[in-house]
Amino acid sequence: MSTALRGTWPALALFAFAALFPLFVRDAFFLDGLILILLWGSVASAWNVAGGYAGQVSLGHSIFFGLGAYSAALLGTKWNVSPWIALVVGAALATVMGVVIGFLSNRLRGPYFVLATIAFSQVFLIVGSRWRGFTSGSEGIPVPFRPGFWTLGLVDKRIWAYLMLALAVGVYLIQLYLERSRRGYQLAAVREDEDAALSLGVPARRLKVAAIAVSAALTAMCGTLWAQYVGFVDPFYVFSVDLSVRFALAAVTGGIGTALGPFLGAALITVLETYLRARFGGIGAGLVGIYLIIYGVALILIMRFTPEGLVPWLGRLRRRPAASPAS
Amino acid sequence: MHVIPQLVVSTLLLGGIYALIAVGLTLIFGVMRVVNFAHGEFLMLAMYLAFWCFALLRLDPYVTLVLSLPLIFGAGWLSYRLVMRPVIHASHNVQVFTTVGLSIALQNLALVLWTADAHFIRTPYYAVVVRLGGAAFNLAQTVAFVIAVLATAALFAFLRWSYTGKIMRATAQDRQAAALMGIDTGRVYSLTWAVGVTCVGVAGVLLAPVYPVYPTAGLQFVLIAYVAVVLGGLGDMAGALIASLIVATVEVVGSYLIGTAWKEVLYLLLFIAILVVRPAGLFGQRGAEAIGT
Repeated sequence: MSTALRGTWPALALFAFAALFPLFVRDAFFLDGLILILLWGSVASAWNVAGGYAGQVSLGHSIFFGLGAYSAALLGTKWNVSPWIALVVGAALATVMGVVIGFLSNRLRGPYFVLATIAFSQVFLIVGSRWRGFTSGSEGIPVPFRPGFWTLGLVDKRIWAYLMLALAVGVYLIQLYLERSRRGYQLAAVREDEDAALSLGVPARRLKVAAIAVSAALTAMCGTLWAQYVGFVDPFYVFSVDLSVRFALAAVTGGIGTALGPFLGAALITVLETYLRARFGGIGAGLVGIYLIIYGVALILIMRFTPEGLVPWLGRLRRRPAASPAS
Repeated sequence: MHVIPQLVVSTLLLGGIYALIAVGLTLIFGVMRVVNFAHGEFLMLAMYLAFWCFALLRLDPYVTLVLSLPLIFGAGWLSYRLVMRPVIHASHNVQVFTTVGLSIALQNLALVLWTADAHFIRTPYYAVVVRLGGAAFNLAQTVAFVIAVLATAALFAFLRWSYTGKIMRATAQDRQAAALMGIDTGRVYSLTWAVGVTCVGVAGVLLAPVYPVYPTAGLQFVLIAYVAVVLGGLGDMAGALIASLIVATVEVVGSYLIGTAWKEVLYLLLFIAILVVRPAGLFGQRGAEAIGT
């Protein structure tokens, strides 16, 4: 038991805090912040499964998020289907798409893979915004609000917070599995040196495709919940490159290939964004874009000074005083 | 058939501009092995430069072009110094995220400074149409094409015949061997980056009288440039040139046959097909994509 939990205390503390928070805080503004941090942390973690653990850095993950979101919106409006079923449908569609993309771009590495994923997401953006008969085109679709848990029409933000917490813990556990299991080690081997991994009999191609598929399914589930929470699906948002960058940004800021990193990154980004929105909202609404300038500059600085992200950096800071007397 | 000459002319006009954007991108990749994800933002900034010079100083975009050359080159050199130099020997992912960060920062800087509204330059010759051999085309677009072709030709001549150009090509071929021959590769990189940015900057100023400018204006053009650059083989200058014409053909013929709404899908599918079937490009060396170089 103690070995299974080793190194996870910061995450346990974070999730415990998130679990206790809604018990004491009823303020809608802060609950909304918590929900968004857990949601964006979960999406970033889902991205991390492919981008961090498998080394398949994608800037097209908004495809999967959008598939999840559109599943909720279209199934809800057209056939009156429960979002819980849309969750499964979206995840299944995203898995298929993940396998297709993973399989087609299997040979590609580095910038080539990034370019391919951007191209795929642009195709989805165009289809989502132009196929007016099915997706309502660029107008977007409002997600119907039907009260009840089965229809996910929840007014109480506390229930949303616990739903997102369950999602976050689930995605965190999947990442932990990738850090500690045999399959996870194989994946790390593929990421570090694919040719060497292949020569040792690691099924590199299958593992990469599987990682993208799992990552896609998780991203789609986040997309469904997001659409249900926010209540509106806009193709220019859910299929945009900006959104994909946002997922990657949280993971990269917090620590690419670490289980806690995406949550830390998402927390930082969401707090900064919310603060600036509150500060400059209304008259100076244009200034809200400042947070994106700060992101961009922060990303450049992180890449410059601690490219592995904040979690490994904090880990080093903590270990350094302990290590110095020994040496 | 009056359609054919019109299609050919449209293709050439578009292809010329795409080529200038694409050669800058492919030059940077060829020499530095960096895909510049902020390429479109430099295009957008140059368009804004032309717009503000026109709106505030009443400067014609073509006057701006000449005056702004050192400015764009300097901005490119500065962005290399501040942003790219520290990560030039880092991994691909670090470089990808660095240029993505630069792209986000520049795009939103424009958004905060100049809002998301689309701005237009209304030059006196805005609606002047030139007729030649059964085809009609916009004057500004024709001028843009001619200057783009001249600029591209100048770049090719520079790389082919000048000593500095030879140094750049040597570094592109083998950066270690180049360093062993006494080439200061750091200086070559900064020069390459600045030249690449200048190419796309010139394209931006040329596009300003034809297209509206807004903070994400660079994206549509740079996507096309990515397609052209990969199609021609990343780092292959001549390949990028031919591929730009191919992409322009697909776009023009596609919008004629199936309408403008879906034309992007055509070249994106072409892009994906190329990446899947022959990622090294039409003329590139097989396997380049797997090494990731």
